[in-house]
Amino acid sequence: MTMERAFSGLMALVCFGLIYVAFGYVAPIAYDPIGPRPYPILIFSLLALLTLVVAFRPARFTQVIDLGMNKAIIKNLVLCVIALLLYGVFFETLGFPIATTLMSLAVGLLFNGKLLKTFIFSVASSLVLFVLFDILLDVKLPLGLLSGIIG
Amino acid sequence: MGTFDFLMHGFSVATTPQNLIIALVGAFLGTIVGMLPGLGPINGVAILLPFAYALGLPPESALILLAAVYLGCEYGGRISAILINVPGDAGAIMTTLDGYPLARQGKAGIALSLSAVSSFIGATIATIGVVLFAPILAKWAVSFGPAEYFVLMVFAITCLGGLVGDQPVKTGIAALIGLGLATVGVDAVTGIYRFTFDSVNLSDGIQFTTIVIGFFSVSEILILLERTTTGHKVIEQGKRSLLNFKEFTFTLGAMLRSSLMGFVVGILPGAGATIASAMTYASERKIAGDSGTFGEGDLRGVASPEAANNASACGSFVPMLTLGVPGSGTTAVMMGALTLYNITPGPQLFTEQPDIVWGLIASLFICNIILLVLNIPLVGLFAKLLNVPSYVLLPAIAAVSFVGVYSINSTTFDLVFMVALGVFGYCLRKLNFPLSALILGYVLGELMESNLRRALSISQGDLGILWSSPITVALWILAILMVFMPIIRNVYRKRFKQSAV
Repeated sequence: MTMERAFSGLMALVCFGLIYVAFGYVAPIAYDPIGPRPYPILIFSLLALLTLVVAFRPARFTQVIDLGMNKAIIKNLVLCVIALLLYGVFFETLGFPIATTLMSLAVGLLFNGKLLKTFIFSVASSLVLFVLFDILLDVKLPLGLLSGIIG
Repeated sequence: MGTFDFLMHGFSVATTPQNLIIALVGAFLGTIVGMLPGLGPINGVAILLPFAYALGLPPESALILLAAVYLGCEYGGRISAILINVPGDAGAIMTTLDGYPLARQGKAGIALSLSAVSSFIGATIATIGVVLFAPILAKWAVSFGPAEYFVLMVFAITCLGGLVGDQPVKTGIAALIGLGLATVGVDAVTGIYRFTFDSVNLSDGIQFTTIVIGFFSVSEILILLERTTTGHKVIEQGKRSLLNFKEFTFTLGAMLRSSLMGFVVGILPGAGATIASAMTYASERKIAGDSGTFGEGDLRGVASPEAANNASACGSFVPMLTLGVPGSGTTAVMMGALTLYNITPGPQLFTEQPDIVWGLIASLFICNIILLVLNIPLVGLFAKLLNVPSYVLLPAIAAVSFVGVYSINSTTFDLVFMVALGVFGYCLRKLNFPLSALILGYVLGELMESNLRRALSISQGDLGILWSSPITVALWILAILMVFMPIIRNVYRKRFKQSAV
């Protein structure tokens, strides 16, 4: 079984779940002839149908996709996603400057950066971006841990 | 007021000092984004969109910024295509075929300046086309009712299926995922919460910026992470850095033909710069016949795709401004920007928001001039930026993306959700589901549902209203044709091959 079939099949299952959920959407008063229920059901039914087609169509209709995956790449991808997730979770609590420095260091290392160089650039770019957005462009960013120290 | 007066009014909007500076900044940033391999116009526009909004720019300035970035990207893509043989964005793929050989012959400077000039000509011709055709189309489209709109959107989506990607099924799935994501949130008619799973953060629907940045920026970082970054050798520009008059006249015909073709392709919903440049490259090679040295460094091979991709970028504004149906993934994002400002794109924009429409059109002319001026002398500076290592660039892109999403609602939920969407987007991209279809579906989703329901309210639930007028019937026929287009194309191709044998 190819990834394509597995992934499409999974999407079809999710669609069935969503269609089931959508059956509960009944408006207390009918404001318009069709109400909130049929449209989502229509969309997810079509989606379920097409994903099932992709999941089960005969092999001659499929094109071989070279995913180009190996253990090292998958490891890097997982680490990168974890770094980005943690960045999102701690964006407010750590504050933009510290969280960005840590994320840049982690992602930079994944992109083959040397430790010292990446660290210097991480600190520099988090400060530059903070000054650019928070001070110059007035896009307010969280200070987090630093809030007691600066402003 | 006639078209000309409106255009002059547009220029008065676009030439205020603030908007000129915005156009300049946008053009500069766009060129850089377009040049960097992997980052295309959608990424650039998506990342900048929340800032335009957070900075409190008026809608016309925000659109001018995004349009400048869009055009800038189409200019920028050619720089890396010619100098390092890696297209900066999808529209520049054809440019590598002749641009890189020219660079290796020591003619990089000529190729760069020629492609800048042809980009300029393509974009200018297409913008003139926008001025001529958009008002007419808008006037005609005002008579569209909700039923016509609904069918038009169905057509736009099937068009995408027929033109984008090798497998229409996958394009269809991507578009439906977008349509499905658009149903999340409170239903505007009845106030029922759909697919929010009792989360306050979803009650307003999924933020547009979260979707675009998640799907495009985060997934892009993951895609780039796969490719181990090998050092590209940037080729020197060569002795002469400007094209001469003879080279200009030699390629002029190709440029003009490609510009017109690019404009027409750009107008079609869904068919963007990539298709336009591939089509014109193929047809110019045919026209040149044996006299051409296409593939080995023919100047026309650089001029035609560049003219075409810029022309189609400008052409894709036509359906967005007149019908409220975007002509490309990037204009879909720009349409999302308009909805952030609570402006519904459509034919009434021309009468209700002349500042926005004509300011945008006039700024297309201005951005082109800015880009031509920026690109010829500063190309060396831009080329230097290609040497910025990815361990500096990618974290910075990630940080800017997060700031963009955070600036809209300031919640941690959006950030985490964005990463999740990015991972999903990455899987879709790896399996060849075109994300531009997804974004088009998302942008059209809400409009499509509300138009369908309005139409059925008018007819009191009778589905017949969806095919009762000549316009709807014509659009249905076109939509069905588009569904079968790939099959027709395959049959045609097979026959062509047989006759060639």
